[in-house]
Amino acid sequence: MDYLIEGLEVLTPGQVVMWLIGGLLIFLAIKKDMEPALLLPMGFGAILVNLPLSPVIAESGIIKSLFQVGIEASEAMPLLLFIGIGAMIDFGPLLSNPKLFILGGAAQLGIFITIILAAIIGFPIEDAASIGIIGAADGPTAIMVSQVLKSNYTAAIIVVAYSYMALVPIVQPAVVKLCTTKKERMIKMRYTSNQVTKLTRILFPIIVTVIAGLIAPESLSLVGMLMFGNLIRECGVLQSLSETAQTTFSNIITLLLGITIAFQMQADAFLRLETLVIMALGLFAFVFDTIGGVFCAKLMNLFTKNKINPIIGAAGISAFPMAARVAEKMGIQEDPSNHLLMHAVGVNVSGQIASAIVGGLIIGLVL
Amino acid sequence: MMNMLLAFENLNPMNLEVLKASLNILWQGLLAIFIVIGLIIVAVTVTTDIIAWSKRYKDSHPDFSIKNIFKKK
Repeated sequence: MDYLIEGLEVLTPGQVVMWLIGGLLIFLAIKKDMEPALLLPMGFGAILVNLPLSPVIAESGIIKSLFQVGIEASEAMPLLLFIGIGAMIDFGPLLSNPKLFILGGAAQLGIFITIILAAIIGFPIEDAASIGIIGAADGPTAIMVSQVLKSNYTAAIIVVAYSYMALVPIVQPAVVKLCTTKKERMIKMRYTSNQVTKLTRILFPIIVTVIAGLIAPESLSLVGMLMFGNLIRECGVLQSLSETAQTTFSNIITLLLGITIAFQMQADAFLRLETLVIMALGLFAFVFDTIGGVFCAKLMNLFTKNKINPIIGAAGISAFPMAARVAEKMGIQEDPSNHLLMHAVGVNVSGQIASAIVGGLIIGLVL
Repeated sequence: MMNMLLAFENLNPMNLEVLKASLNILWQGLLAIFIVIGLIIVAVTVTTDIIAWSKRYKDSHPDFSIKNIFKKK
C-alpha cells in the first residue's frame, strides 16, 4: 500500500505554500478580475507543478516541454503574442499627434531607475535588468528579457509584472495626484481627429521596424512581431488573418503562456526572500514610470502653446488599454467635460512600442 | 538596512561594478530610446507631409499622372 502515500511522503512545506499562492492567483483572477487570462492559468499551473512527483515537469513532461520549446529555446510564445497585440492596436491617435511619442519614451524611466536600485540592493546586473523591466508593464517583454538574460527570478518577475498591471487603476491615480496640481489636471485638450491616411498607417509599422532595427537591433524581434501584427491589421487585404490574430491566435498563445510560465513557479525556485524584494521593486518601477510620464508632460508644457494635461503622461506605461482608461477616468473626475481618452490612447500605444524597444536595448546593453 | 540586505544570501549590496553597469544602462538606454523616438517622429511627420502634399498636388492638377509626363516629352 506504500504507493498510495508515495506522494505524501515527499511533499514539502514549500509546495503547500505554492498551492496557497496558486489559489490566491486563481482567487484574484476570478473574484477580483485581475488579468484573469494569465493569472488563472498561472495559478492553476503553480498548483500543478508543485504536486509531489508531478509528471508534468519530468524530463518529457508536458509543461517542461512547452517551456523548453515555447520560451527557453526561442522565446517564441511571448513573441507570437506580440503579433496579436500588434493586430489589436490602432496607432491612429498617435499618428495624428506624433509628439505624444515622447511621453511614451519618458514613461519608461521607472525601468532604468529600478535597475539602479536593484543593483544597489545587490542583485547581479542580469537580475537587476530583468527586475527593472517589470516597469515595462508588458508581460511578453518581461518574459523575453528575463529569459534571455537567464534571470534566476523569472517566475517572480512575471507574477509581479502581471499583478501590478492589474493594479494600475489603484497605483497610478495616487501617484498622478501627488505629482500634479488640480489646475494642471484640469487642462483641456482638444482632439482634432486629423485624417490619417491609409498609406501612413501602412508605412508606420515598416518605418518603426526599420528605425528600431538600425538603432536598437536587439529590440527587433519584439518590435518586428508587434509591427507585423499591426501591418496585417492596417493593410486592408488580410481581414480574416487580422481578426484571427486579435482573437483566436492571441487567446491560444495567452492560454499556453500562462500555464507554461508556471514551470518556473516550483517552490524551491520561487519561495525566496528575494521575491518580496522584487515585489517592492516592481511597485517602485510602476511609480517611477508614472512620474516620468507626468513630469515629461509638464516639461513639454514649458515649450508648447497647446498645453498637455499631465495626466496623459501616466498612460505612457504600456499596460494597454488600461492606462489610457485610467487617464480618461481621472480627467473626467476633475472636469466632466474633459475627455482625454484619445490623447491617452496615443500615449499608451507609444508606450507599447517604447517598452518593446527598451526591452531590446537592455538585452543588448547587458549581454 | 545594509545588515538586512546582507541577510539575503544571494545579494551583494553596493557592488560598484554592478552599480557602474546599471548607470551605463541608464544613460545609454535613455539616449537610444529618445534617438529612436525622435527618428520615428521625424519619419512619421515627413511621410504625412509628403502624402498630404502629393494629395494636394493631384487635386490641383486633375490631369496629372506619371504617364502624362512621358507623353508631354
